[in-house]
Amino acid sequence: MIESLISVLLFTTPLAIAAVGETVNQRAGQINIGLEGMMLVAAYVAAIVAIETGSPVLGIGAAIAAMIPLWLIQNFLTIQAGRDQVVVGTALNLCAIGLTSTLYQMRFGQSGQLLSVPQLPRWGGIDGMVLFGLLLVPVLGWWLFRSRWGLVLRAAGEYPDSVRSSGFSVARIRWEAAAVGAVMAALAGAHLSIGVGGTFVQEMTSGRGFVAVALVSFGRWRPAWVLAACLLVGGAEFLKFYYQVRQTALPYQLFLALPYLVALGVLVIVGKNSRAPAALAQPFRSNQ
Amino acid sequence: MVKKLKSIVGVLGLAGLVLAGCTGGQQAAKGDSPSSAQAADGSFKVALITPGSVSDAGWNAMAFAGLQAIESELGAEITNAEATGAKIRDVMRTYAQEDYKLIFGHGFEYNAPGVELAKQFPNTVFISSSGAETATNAGSFRFYLEQGFYLAGMMGAKMSRNKHLAMVGLNVPSIVSTFRGFEAGAKAADPNVKVTTVLLTDTKDAVAVKQATLQVIEAGADMIIHQANEAARSVFDACKEKGAMAFGSNADQNGDTSGVVLASAVIVAKPAFVEVARQVKEGKYQGGVTFIGMDKGAIDFIVNPAKAGQIPDDVKAAVEQAKQDILAGKIVVPKDEF
Repeated sequence: MIESLISVLLFTTPLAIAAVGETVNQRAGQINIGLEGMMLVAAYVAAIVAIETGSPVLGIGAAIAAMIPLWLIQNFLTIQAGRDQVVVGTALNLCAIGLTSTLYQMRFGQSGQLLSVPQLPRWGGIDGMVLFGLLLVPVLGWWLFRSRWGLVLRAAGEYPDSVRSSGFSVARIRWEAAAVGAVMAALAGAHLSIGVGGTFVQEMTSGRGFVAVALVSFGRWRPAWVLAACLLVGGAEFLKFYYQVRQTALPYQLFLALPYLVALGVLVIVGKNSRAPAALAQPFRSNQ
Repeated sequence: MVKKLKSIVGVLGLAGLVLAGCTGGQQAAKGDSPSSAQAADGSFKVALITPGSVSDAGWNAMAFAGLQAIESELGAEITNAEATGAKIRDVMRTYAQEDYKLIFGHGFEYNAPGVELAKQFPNTVFISSSGAETATNAGSFRFYLEQGFYLAGMMGAKMSRNKHLAMVGLNVPSIVSTFRGFEAGAKAADPNVKVTTVLLTDTKDAVAVKQATLQVIEAGADMIIHQANEAARSVFDACKEKGAMAFGSNADQNGDTSGVVLASAVIVAKPAFVEVARQVKEGKYQGGVTFIGMDKGAIDFIVNPAKAGQIPDDVKAAVEQAKQDILAGKIVVPKDEF
């Protein structure tokens, strides 16, 4: 039982870190559809650097560094140029899939070998990233809802004009929020390849970035709720195999639907008071 | 104005990146265009389309080895690409238009598109690995890998401490059929052995494959065979983590660095690939399904030399006997028709 819970925790960590980072981003009024692509690039870079240097920690550092150009391009287009966030994010995803697949094939394509990546050390089944993810939630929760920075950030997502008239820069706040999101995407992606997977496979993120974006609204834009939503989905993923392995009378496909049924129930009961940031996905033009 | 200019430059920059990224995804695009002119002077061009990376040390890698043999033995000009789903037809058509004489689609899913395109491109031969549809210039291989899986099942049943084996693989007909062979071999060796199947929907999700394998080991399985293609690493890693043993599949995976691979059920595709390419080159190809098994040397079960010491002699003898029985036709390994 304990072992199962630890396993769920370990396998949910990449999703949870990405989703909590995206919460900060969305609170500032930005939706990062490119999260999937960012995670994929991070997974690739972390794997390659870990192989080259033998150090998974350096791999994580490199994954964060790799986010800098993506962060610059994406937010130049969305914040400075006011382009549609969904379109820019989608372009980023396509770019990431093409880029990582090409680089992977150039380097390992014809080698005929499976990729083995040095992994983060574990203690009792969990690694440092799991602890970091668990710590991250209260810290970011406090930051978003109890600090001055968080107040301004949330205002940038609700009513950016008020932020501007208070003497803050909406653009600057959003750049900062995007940076937090990008670092979390890097950690999440790196954890996929060098934390839980132990390998890199083309397109190995398999939609986790999109799920993370969706779970932010399911978690009502609150880090603790978002974490809970991630654990729910992670738990259902676990059950999917659990029942297939034990060959119960119930078809395992039933358990595929479980997280969605629970989500529906939660939304019906508590969804009434939940509201997305008012300025979500809207570009802010200061000259208006 | 300046702002507008900035944004245009930005969009162009991103578009450039996207294009650079996308074109690279398909190796087909690389270096093909100049060669189509050479085809007129009679060079023999052969293409391979695989469902995943040819660096999976398994299903895709063994086809790539076959393609390379065609290059070295027949002097063909070769290329390869990855394509699944809706992209299959596009990639096949592109190759056919560029005058490729032989196009291999490495899997069941390439059979129907190949037969369909064969009508439009009578000068190109389309071969798929498994599949029942044929035409005069289209056909398939049917590798009897179930035979190799049968022997793996026997060895697994005799060596499992918990009397519990597991199969982890993609949910496609050809793979499910190999699992039937594995189960039959296991039950033949020991009717009381438990065999668990875990079917996956996606082997790109290596993390989920690892989770599935860890769980089946947790449930008691200690001998695992896989059909997880590029995620095979995750299966082996999970075995290593939990102290289980594994069987390799499709290609010889005995040398895997995880050190958990006891033996491999392999397809030796080279001779079959070269043979069909020779027929196409000489204009003798007729179409049809080529059924190849152990008797033609296309299927084998190879014990890992580094692990041979751990396998009791009577197990080795029983597996060898079963191999001879299969060759002699005394054992007919079950398989699905698809």
